[in-house]
Amino acid sequence: MSRLLSTFSARHLVFLVVLLAATIPLLLNIRLTHTASDETKHFYANIDSLPSGSVVLMSFDFEASAFAEIKPLAEAVLRHCFRQNLRVIGLSLFAEGTALGEQTLSRIAREKGKVYGTDYLYLGFRPQCTSAILAIGESLPKEFPTDYFGAATATMPVLSGVTNYDQIATVISITDGGMPTYWVDYAVTRYHARLQTVLTATMVTSFYPYISSGQIQSLIAGLKGAAEYELLLNESGGGGRGLLAQSVSQIAILAIILAGNMVGYLDRRRKWQ
Amino acid sequence: MTNRLAWIATLVTGLFMMAQYFIKTEATNAIYTTLLDYYQIIFAVSMIVGGIGLLKQHSLKVQRSSQQRGYSLITITAILFMVIVAVISGTGATSPYQWAFNNLQAPMQATTFSLLAFFVASAAYRGFRVKSAPAFVLALAAIIVLVGKSGFGEMISQQLPAIAGWVLNNPSTAAKRGILIGVGIGSVATALRVILGIERSYR
Repeated sequence: MSRLLSTFSARHLVFLVVLLAATIPLLLNIRLTHTASDETKHFYANIDSLPSGSVVLMSFDFEASAFAEIKPLAEAVLRHCFRQNLRVIGLSLFAEGTALGEQTLSRIAREKGKVYGTDYLYLGFRPQCTSAILAIGESLPKEFPTDYFGAATATMPVLSGVTNYDQIATVISITDGGMPTYWVDYAVTRYHARLQTVLTATMVTSFYPYISSGQIQSLIAGLKGAAEYELLLNESGGGGRGLLAQSVSQIAILAIILAGNMVGYLDRRRKWQ
Repeated sequence: MTNRLAWIATLVTGLFMMAQYFIKTEATNAIYTTLLDYYQIIFAVSMIVGGIGLLKQHSLKVQRSSQQRGYSLITITAILFMVIVAVISGTGATSPYQWAFNNLQAPMQATTFSLLAFFVASAAYRGFRVKSAPAFVLALAAIIVLVGKSGFGEMISQQLPAIAGWVLNNPSTAAKRGILIGVGIGSVATALRVILGIERSYR
């Protein structure tokens, strides 16, 4: 057994276990019972406390590779924003996030019966994130005279009274990388913007220091975060569907770690003998 | 002479950007916003230069008929295809460019990213072997966070997610904060070296 696991086929066995752990739960219609963490409740409360008509600047700063994990989170937060009748201004500081951000924003806006230009707006992509973040601090209408589709933004009701971060209730950076660091460095530090982040699970530890320093107000992360947010919203979505698959995969990896240790121990014992 | 001019431009721009953070007048704001515009323009142009460089490098590989010739041909075809369809039909929601992005690029990237799960599992199998006390602490922390943050965490014990949260919020955040402070001090030192002309990568 030990020889079998420690040879080339052990690697294939590990791959097979992960494949089955990730795919079989997706085929089963089972929902895990769970409660929302304090982290998710805090994010939810921040959005919930915004008065109707407040402006939310939502930056879709992710690559296509992370879309499967980011999508349920982005959708849940957008549903909450539109339910609260907040004005959502979308943009992207990542070229790849541009189209995916527009598709997600438009789909949820249509689902909630929102009107483009009045309830939401998509500004598209700006190269060089540092200067774009700083330029919004000086004048958002000047930085974005036209939207993603080439229409003039000056006359759009959604931007009425919006000049810079002072009129933006919160910035939400939806990301799979280090983009919130730039938002902290240039929007929070310089212009005192209020920042929240939506992250992939692997990125979450990178941003806890910013939470405890108060530079990021709150964050939600990964499929678990999405499932918890859907629970608070009382709506079903991709987070709840994916939670079982992700949790079973995590337990499978735990079993793999234990198996690896067992094989290592047996190998060592054989050498001693 | 060119080097000296580049250094003077770096020095003046660097000192101005530092000063304007504290001195807010109409004149400094106007120069600042103009510099931000140029920053974006230069970045956009650098993307074109990067694209041309990539095409040039892969064209050379094709000409030299190296073993990776096929990959280079695919790269060149993909770049030219995306540029040409974007120029001809735009990048709108129903354009061929968008179709190619949604149906080719996005699934290919998602597929590559998904492979990570398999490599992580394979690495965990080999890497988390408890052979010493520090390795035991590492494996224990990994197991607590893995189970505590999974959907089964609170089913096993109501305390487990809280313990996982403690590991993330205390030892992990403390280490991360130390790294961030180090990076911050390093960034300031590097910026000063560039402004003062000690670091001249443009030579």
